[in-house]
Amino acid sequence: MGNNIIEAQNLIKRYGTIEAVKGISFAIRRGEIFGFLGPNGAGKTTTISMLSCLLEPTAGTAIVAGYDVVKASSEVKRRIGLVPQELALYPTLSARDNLNYFGRIYGLRERELRGRVDEVLEMVGLAERAKSAVKTYSGGMKRRLNIAAGLLHHPEVLFLDEPTVGVDPQSRNAIFEHVERLRGEGMTVLYTTHYMEEAERLCDRVAIIDEGRIVALDTPRKLIGDLGEGIIHLGIANGMADEILGRIRALPEVKNVARFDGKIRVEAARAQETLIRLLELFNSTDTDVTALEVLEPNLETVFLHLTGKRLRE
Amino acid sequence: MLRQILSTTWKDLKILFTDIGGMATLFLMPIMFIIVMSTALQGLFDSGTDTQPRRLPVVNLDRGGYAAEVIAALDGIAGIEVETTWNDETLTRERAEALVADGERSVAVVFPADFSAQIEARSNGDDATATVELITDPAASVQFIAPIQGMVFGAAERVAETQVAQARVAESLANAFAQLPPEMQPAPGQIAIEMEGTSVVALKQVAPAEMNIEVFPDTYQQNVPGYTVFGVFFIVGTMASSILQEKREGTFRRLLVAPLPKPVLLAGKILPYYLVNLIQVAIMFGVAHLLFGMAFGDPVALAAVSLALAAATTGLGIMVAALGKTDTQVGGITSLLTLTMSAVGGCLMPTSIMPGFLQTLSRFTPHAWAMQGFQDVLVRGYSLAGILPEAGALLGFAAAFFLIGVWRFRFD
Repeated sequence: MGNNIIEAQNLIKRYGTIEAVKGISFAIRRGEIFGFLGPNGAGKTTTISMLSCLLEPTAGTAIVAGYDVVKASSEVKRRIGLVPQELALYPTLSARDNLNYFGRIYGLRERELRGRVDEVLEMVGLAERAKSAVKTYSGGMKRRLNIAAGLLHHPEVLFLDEPTVGVDPQSRNAIFEHVERLRGEGMTVLYTTHYMEEAERLCDRVAIIDEGRIVALDTPRKLIGDLGEGIIHLGIANGMADEILGRIRALPEVKNVARFDGKIRVEAARAQETLIRLLELFNSTDTDVTALEVLEPNLETVFLHLTGKRLRE
Repeated sequence: MLRQILSTTWKDLKILFTDIGGMATLFLMPIMFIIVMSTALQGLFDSGTDTQPRRLPVVNLDRGGYAAEVIAALDGIAGIEVETTWNDETLTRERAEALVADGERSVAVVFPADFSAQIEARSNGDDATATVELITDPAASVQFIAPIQGMVFGAAERVAETQVAQARVAESLANAFAQLPPEMQPAPGQIAIEMEGTSVVALKQVAPAEMNIEVFPDTYQQNVPGYTVFGVFFIVGTMASSILQEKREGTFRRLLVAPLPKPVLLAGKILPYYLVNLIQVAIMFGVAHLLFGMAFGDPVALAAVSLALAAATTGLGIMVAALGKTDTQVGGITSLLTLTMSAVGGCLMPTSIMPGFLQTLSRFTPHAWAMQGFQDVLVRGYSLAGILPEAGALLGFAAAFFLIGVWRFRFD
């Protein structure tokens, strides 16, 4: 296993005839923030559920913190923390009561529990509202408390399942800071999101997942770098597209040209220069351009390039 | 505006009918309730008719012949079927007590050995009373017992008064007419005799010997066990909804990731409702004690039935939580089970007035056993040994419900 804290081999999860996860393999190194980036329904939560022993894989193996998730689930559970996508809190109880309860469930002794609850409340900035009922909290505060509940027992691996859904930008930034702080403390974090900015900002490596398969896995920089500088979408008047396609392909810096959703997608090493050349070409050939869109190089465009779909479709 | 109303209606109907299970129970519940209540109450309205006569065990220990006359009179009343034998043997007092104690019959009549002698004594001018004993289940409802009391008293009084009146008339006339000339003596039937004084016959209500009864309970006290059992089962819905809510809101998911065996998790969910159930029982009996003067009976026996009942109730809660996948389904299943079982189990009306098959069916509900257990302690005066079968049956129900619940429970 070496420095890897999670190793998944050909994980499959089927529900009847539907295959939610179609044989994915990956390894996560100790202390890294590993991102699962993909649209809703891609299989991210199912994968996390298998790794956190909530679901038994239909096939394949997964080792977490040195233990098999099926054969030694108790050992795995002792070493992981889960922050579910839902606000898994008791709204009529206070933040402290919620944390006390979850801490006791993990077997923390009273003295240790008191100290740890104070610590995590301080960490997520809720110490002053600790006695208030959770139902009186804002969405962002609830999200922060949701994370705090997953940290009480000092897990080696923390699964954060879409932790920023439905929160305001300020709370989102606060959550980013907490996650970065956890990395500083050496905790391994598996972070699922369908927001590419989050994956780019937080993750050491990202697995792009779509329809139950990992379609790319690398550092965000490498994934974006492989794509080039950007993508240009062009809408051309009917009847002219075939004629112009070959001439676009011949332009310098153009790496790939393909039809996409009734448009032409141009991947270029330097998008700005290519755009100028394209406009010159259209001028000289008297081509009617009905749509023009320059997509900045980022994980969103990587996803688009790999799957032909947008992350939030 | 109408369009918006119709759109909302259409949307809600679509949502409702998507949950087929929930809708089925919503429709099934009132149908079941109508069927069960109508069938159960059929006994109340039809009982005492030629087609469904009330069976009345009668023990005749009388050394004279008047009791036999009363029994013949009772047998002649439409809607009464006198039973003087049991399994082809003459009914004894012990057998009659056992029939009442076992719940086979609610009341039995005993004519004592001196029944005729007392009537004769009264005829001779002594201040004697012929007593008829009614061995009665203290838990039997007054509505059921009172008509029987009336019929027995009426029949016995008629026979006794006839005899006493005849004797007095004969004596009076013999004395009076002896002093008149024959032509002045009245024709038969021209003289009306007015009977004065106390009744010749008295009814004595007794409980079977094995029951420790000092005072027969009144209607309020009789109803407390039934309504208590009826009430405590409502916790089933609260408990199942709480589990469903934990599943829906993700807290269950968080708990399942903790190193916590699933039975421990379920035990943690059961225990608070178990305690609430016991508090419910304590409050209901406390109120009955304060308002109606209901005695608690043997506290150990009462505690045993209460603990066993709470186990059955919470077991049913786990089962409903396992079977219901939506709030509508949980609500429907809870109402269906609790109302139907309450009716069949005798919480809403005595099982003694129900048709035979429904009485048999009632033994398959925890309500019937809980009712009987509470009545044994509170109304019949039984101690711990007397309620062990009921407590055992309730624990059996608890185990069955819990096993089905765990078997069908989906943790994810």
